[in-house]
Amino acid sequence: MSENITGGIAGISKRKLLVVEDERINRELLRVILAGQYDLVFAENGKQALQLVHEHMDTLSLILLDLNLPDVHGLDLLQQIKGEDQLSHIPVIVMTADREAEVESLGLGAIDFIPKPYPQPKVMHARIQRTIELSEGKDIIRWTERDHLTGLYNREYFYRYASQLDNYHKDVEMDAIVLDINHFHILNERYGKPFGDEILIKLGHILRGIINANGGIVCRREADTFLMYRPHQENCSALMEEISKALGDDNHIRLRMGVYYNVDREIDIERRFDRAKSAADTVRNNYKNNIGIYDVSLHEAEVFAEQLLEDFPTAINEKQFVVYYQPKFDVRPSEPQLSSAEALVRWKHPQLGMISPGIFIPLFEENGLIQQLDTYVWRETASQIRKWKTELGMNIPVSVNVSRVDMYDPDLIYTLEDIVHEFDLDYSELFLEITESAYTDNSEQIISEVNKMREKGFRIEMDDFGSGYSSLNMISSLPIDALKLDMQFIRNAFKQRKDTRLLEIVITLAESLNVPTIAEGVETAEQMFTLKTMGCDYVQGYYFSTPLPADEFSEYVRNLKKEETEEITGNRNERNLQRDKYTYDALHDELTGLYNHTAFDVLFHDSDKDHIAVLLANIDDFARMKAEHGRKYADEVVRTVGMTLRDNFRSVDDICRLKEDEFVIIMTRITDSNHNLVYEKVELINELLEKETGNVSLSFGVAFSDRENAEGDIFEDADKALNTIKDVHKRGCVIF
Amino acid sequence: MLTIEGLREFGADVEEGLGRCFGQEEFYLTLVGMVLEEKNFDVLQQAIKDRDLDKAFEAAHALKGVLGNLSLTPVLKPVEEITELLRSRTDTDYEPLLQEILNKKNVLVEMAAQ
Repeated sequence: MSENITGGIAGISKRKLLVVEDERINRELLRVILAGQYDLVFAENGKQALQLVHEHMDTLSLILLDLNLPDVHGLDLLQQIKGEDQLSHIPVIVMTADREAEVESLGLGAIDFIPKPYPQPKVMHARIQRTIELSEGKDIIRWTERDHLTGLYNREYFYRYASQLDNYHKDVEMDAIVLDINHFHILNERYGKPFGDEILIKLGHILRGIINANGGIVCRREADTFLMYRPHQENCSALMEEISKALGDDNHIRLRMGVYYNVDREIDIERRFDRAKSAADTVRNNYKNNIGIYDVSLHEAEVFAEQLLEDFPTAINEKQFVVYYQPKFDVRPSEPQLSSAEALVRWKHPQLGMISPGIFIPLFEENGLIQQLDTYVWRETASQIRKWKTELGMNIPVSVNVSRVDMYDPDLIYTLEDIVHEFDLDYSELFLEITESAYTDNSEQIISEVNKMREKGFRIEMDDFGSGYSSLNMISSLPIDALKLDMQFIRNAFKQRKDTRLLEIVITLAESLNVPTIAEGVETAEQMFTLKTMGCDYVQGYYFSTPLPADEFSEYVRNLKKEETEEITGNRNERNLQRDKYTYDALHDELTGLYNHTAFDVLFHDSDKDHIAVLLANIDDFARMKAEHGRKYADEVVRTVGMTLRDNFRSVDDICRLKEDEFVIIMTRITDSNHNLVYEKVELINELLEKETGNVSLSFGVAFSDRENAEGDIFEDADKALNTIKDVHKRGCVIF
Repeated sequence: MLTIEGLREFGADVEEGLGRCFGQEEFYLTLVGMVLEEKNFDVLQQAIKDRDLDKAFEAAHALKGVLGNLSLTPVLKPVEEITELLRSRTDTDYEPLLQEILNKKNVLVEMAAQ
């Protein structure tokens, strides 16, 4: 067989050899010896040789290299060939008359040597043939053991060679390192796969260089994940720096590293890298720190995770997983209406107590158990919906979560169908929440899957929108029935420096596409009020209710029903009042009953900025008044001012007390031509106040949205106007 | 004229040399003829005259490879000797060895000219 491979069916499978030899006589000799069996290419010097190697690199079976060349030393040429990724696989036989050079050339990567004077042709043939055979065999092995993109080992061979390395160097302390690129799929998506591949190739090359210089081995485990197993070195940040520097300062690429120092050799090699991986996961999306170290706390977490995984089957059998239901309210009507609920799973662990889904869901997602858990939750939920229908006559659709891996299960739709039939439900009663990130994975497949489910009649809600790399584009192109805004997305918008612009854009866009929006994790009255004014359709969160066990949820719904009935008869229920009071307090000034600054922020933000006037009002001499007459008196003045303002503006105007003696009125549907209206109003208010109190007056600074020569925003310009009046006199009004 | 018989008499290991040429006598004789025109003989001579031992070594080393392949033992022997001395850049009088090399070569040159 081997003869057939290299011996040559003449003309067809003749291997090609490059002969690098500067002596003509030797070249002629080699031609006579080899030409019968090989295709020969000759080079007389190093430069020519290198050029020919590149030209024929895909077809060269072997290089015969004389060490004495006129331009370069043969050993330098050898080193150059072996140093180039695309050439290094070509075997090189060195021809020399020097014993010492033989050894050195083997050290540099020559596969064999042929002495000078040449041995008899038979011997030469045998050596060349053997070399080609070995090398081609090795190529086949290389092909199977390598990742074809980067040329690094693939995972299987990596683990095998890593174990071998352990055997040979029993006393060397080793580090297991996992390296990957943050959000690599996004890079692929944004810049195209060729770009992504280029990055991977480059990274592979850098890592190989580092390993070649310092020892160890490296592989590409899959996608953008690389593994390194190398002799222990303190301080991985130096390594990270080296890699990042070599990659260049390309801002698109953010690496992430997990390190398990001084691995425990008692544990399986793959587990060692699992540990490094879990260390890497601790710095996911962490922009300050991109290196995670495996330590005791991670070890404990690992042990904990192992226990959870172990307990999973029992938990399913014993129904330790309990489904909770969190109501979703339609907030479009003036009084929010319960519209549906979301099923959320909790684990009542017999020893560990209540375990948060935040802990076990990611774990089960990683270990593939999530599918089983999802199916369990779907069934439990469906059974509960049926129970509510039958026993209480309650018809509340419930949404369940469909995990990313579920979407790849060809049986998904049948599983869901079976469940719906088993409990005799309508498809429209079980909503499906599919996480946003599932859509980015493999859009086409997901879309066709989702379409099938919608055709059946399932309602699809896109979950966690705004948590990852949402593209607004997705909303218009994807088949969805509702958009669920991610909890964190909402919380971020309401952080210390409230910035709800993005939120508003999303809601507005969804609205224009007729996709209803659902806000999750809504906790405060301010959030609720803002979302509602922005046009958000449904709200879910602690503001209304925490997730409740099924029986408490039934109770909750019963109470809501009772409230509704009582409301109609004018008898407001305590709980409802409580909730309203909470909202009221959050948005109103206690002393005057006017809106407070929080409400102002929202109102101002949502006002029609083209047709308003902002009136800033101060009570004249308030500080002196307070100092002379005391707090109580001052409060009474503020109250009276508040009442007078309220009585004298239109119902479409919003009156707010910002602080102490500062008030602001947003007059709506008004233009710069209405100066007189404002002057008259201010005069009237001051007259009334004087009549009522004897000495209290107000100064107003006013700006219209269509004012000329605007300097700052409308609020700032009103403030400027107010300052001018204070400088000159008091009582009255200056319009910017 | 160079002949196999003549070379054998000269002391060359003709069998070995021919073996490398698959027994093709004419080819072998052509190659031997080419050796006689080797410029490295001149290079060696000049380099030794200039005491440029690096250059002399290069030339001797190259000659050694070629002569060895043709098994021209009587020339090869002194070339090998001089190569080893030059390899270590030994400070010695290279003239006698050089002369021996040139003399042996000249025997062949004369043989070819006849």
